[in-house]
Amino acid sequence: MPERPPAGSRSLPLAVLMGLAWLVPGLGHLLLGRRTRAAVFFVVVVIGFIVGLVLDGELILPHAGDPLSYLAAIASIGNGMLFFVAHSVGLGQGVVTSPSYEYGNTFLLTAGMMNLLLVLDVHDIGTGKKEW
Amino acid sequence: MVDHLTLMTLHALLIAVFFSFLWKSDKHERTVYFWKVFGALVLGAIALGWLMYPFPRS
Repeated sequence: MPERPPAGSRSLPLAVLMGLAWLVPGLGHLLLGRRTRAAVFFVVVVIGFIVGLVLDGELILPHAGDPLSYLAAIASIGNGMLFFVAHSVGLGQGVVTSPSYEYGNTFLLTAGMMNLLLVLDVHDIGTGKKEW
Repeated sequence: MVDHLTLMTLHALLIAVFFSFLWKSDKHERTVYFWKVFGALVLGAIALGWLMYPFPRS
């Protein structure tokens, strides 16, 4: 097994790493040499996202006059590339009348928030605050 | 696919795997943490459901 690079050592600027970590789940960890964790995070976030779409969930965007939609939009956009790809092909419009609509939203928002936590984790590893 | 318990269990599984890999580095610690989080989410939700049972729906 290849030796894991020590925390704090990185080949790219931290901001770039965090941006890539946001765009593709697990990519930040992969670039920091955390291959197993990168693979696990990628699978977990992508599965959550796909299940959310299958359950007719909505990739929520900010709605004027609805403050909570701004928070939901942060979580939705937290999915990174998945969000933009799904939007570009017309997925994630949400079917409000579907019995699974709220379930789908839950999975989509959870996946986005997990991905945002990964960005913070990449920051901690990249700055050496987290050793592993 | 819309079965609440199945979806809740899948959700709990994803969350437990995610946080066990995010917060624990040792394999044994990770396994223990996974079962704690997974059990707390699933059993906690079921327990909460039973506690809410006496309350009227409307």
